[in-house]
Amino acid sequence: MMNREFNFRLDELVIDQQEVAAVLGYDEGPLPEPFDSYLEQAMDESFGLTDIRAAYRIVDDIMVNEKEHLLMACGLAFKVGKTVCGELKGSQRLAFFICSAGKTISEKAEKLLKGEDPVLGYVYNVVGNAIAEAAGNRMQLFLKQAMEKSGDLITNRYSPGYCHWNVADQHKLFSLFPDSTCGVSLTSSALMQPVKSISGVIGIGRNVKYRAYPCELCSAANCIYRRTMHH
Amino acid sequence: MNELLGKLAACIEFGKVNLASPYPPHMKDQEGADEITRRALDGGVDPQDILYFGLMPGMERVGIKFRENRVFVPQVLMSARAMSTAMLHLKPYFLSGAARQKGTYIIGTVLGDLHDIGKNLVAMMVEGNGYKVVDLGTDVNSEKFIAAIKENTGAVVGLSALLTTTMVNMQHITSEIKKAVPETLVTIGGAPVNHDFCKKIGADFYAPDPQGVVEFLNKK
Ligand code: B12
Repeated sequence: MMNREFNFRLDELVIDQQEVAAVLGYDEGPLPEPFDSYLEQAMDESFGLTDIRAAYRIVDDIMVNEKEHLLMACGLAFKVGKTVCGELKGSQRLAFFICSAGKTISEKAEKLLKGEDPVLGYVYNVVGNAIAEAAGNRMQLFLKQAMEKSGDLITNRYSPGYCHWNVADQHKLFSLFPDSTCGVSLTSSALMQPVKSISGVIGIGRNVKYRAYPCELCSAANCIYRRTMHH
Repeated sequence: MNELLGKLAACIEFGKVNLASPYPPHMKDQEGADEITRRALDGGVDPQDILYFGLMPGMERVGIKFRENRVFVPQVLMSARAMSTAMLHLKPYFLSGAARQKGTYIIGTVLGDLHDIGKNLVAMMVEGNGYKVVDLGTDVNSEKFIAAIKENTGAVVGLSALLTTTMVNMQHITSEIKKAVPETLVTIGGAPVNHDFCKKIGADFYAPDPQGVVEFLNKK
């Protein structure tokens, strides 16, 4: 078993500003006022964040049950569904993870959205989402590098709530970690707090395949990210 | 129609708040919803007409463009900001009864869920289309919904949820509402919700976007 926790600074992460601009509605050309200064403000402030965190836990007591679309780990049965099972096929170990953009930006976005300036709040919100994903990317890269040392490969990452994997399995996933890992807790309705957090699993093995996460895998028909995101 | 109201509709459509606001670039240094609403009222335009022929057509165009992916959330929020600036001038007339909204819409994110951007967008668009909106916030249980319905006779209810684990709470809330005040219409929405789920839980209407629920309310 292997556990790692990271504390990231924003300058260690890669934020795709073009993607952020696209989510704000501007996939071409410069951002108009006030969005340019709003984005600058949100980014500048985010460089001061000290609570961007990620953690993974590698477990080797696992089985990918393709017949029943189950993932067995540490005696727990994750009902991940057919697609995720297929993607994790051949894994000898699994890395479960939690990543968070942190409480600071989650709360700042929420406060602005609720009161003072919803537009600025939304920009913080989008930056927070991008940070959570970027922390995921960084953690995934570290995992890849660590596994390469032993000649292992990794798959892409997969999350409860996507591809027919029920969000309720978050409870099982969180039971694999000590309380408030990365500062994240889970409500009884399986909502992570702070909100700008992600969780999931990555397959590890000699023969696993890393595949880009195509929108076609997902069942969300009217997702705003279908047009803009590359995952 | 009054030229001012046409201008006001454009301010709402493009999110032009006031003269000082630089947004949108093509309306820079022009008057915004704030000044135009004031001027219309001072010039004797009926507040009801300002709502019906200034604000509503503007917001309707935003709703349609948003549905068609021609504008995104930030542009809608700008429009909502322009609208609420105009509404500040109109509030006294709603309170005195000199102007009237079309009905009441009670909205909340259901028990266990804290997401509110989607819910807020629906609230803003429904308000911009001439309805009074009672926003109960997030993590709202059936008791709170029912209390609000009893306070606002004839109101239509909107339930929002963003996770499949909280979406299930819509079923209980809908049936409790129908038990307490049977004639209440319940509309639902949020990323994981769909038409089949709406039918299954006995709600009255599902819309994937705010404009859908506006059209539903307008048909009633
Ligand atoms: C951005 C995003 C994130 C961000 C931020 C999340 C946040 N809470 O702030 C990050 C990356 C952190 C994230 C994380 C997760 N996410 Co996420 N996320 C999204 C995404 C891409 C956009 C959400 C958004 O901001 N939409 C914009 C708003 C405006 O849209 P909206 O809320 O849906 O509202 C609109 C409509 O639904 C409608 N509407 C809403 N309410 C109502 C009410 C009525 C009455 C009506 C008529 C209409 C209506 O009108 C609104 C305007 O059009 C969605 C997919 C999608 N495109 O929707 C997934 C999505 C919400 N996420 C999902 C999941 C599963 C997760 C995670 C659980 C994944 C994981 N294991 O890590 C976590 C959970 C986070 C947590 N805190 O617990 C699922 C939820 C469905 C499910 N299976 O339960 C979605 C739907 C993606 C999917 N699989 O299809 N997520």
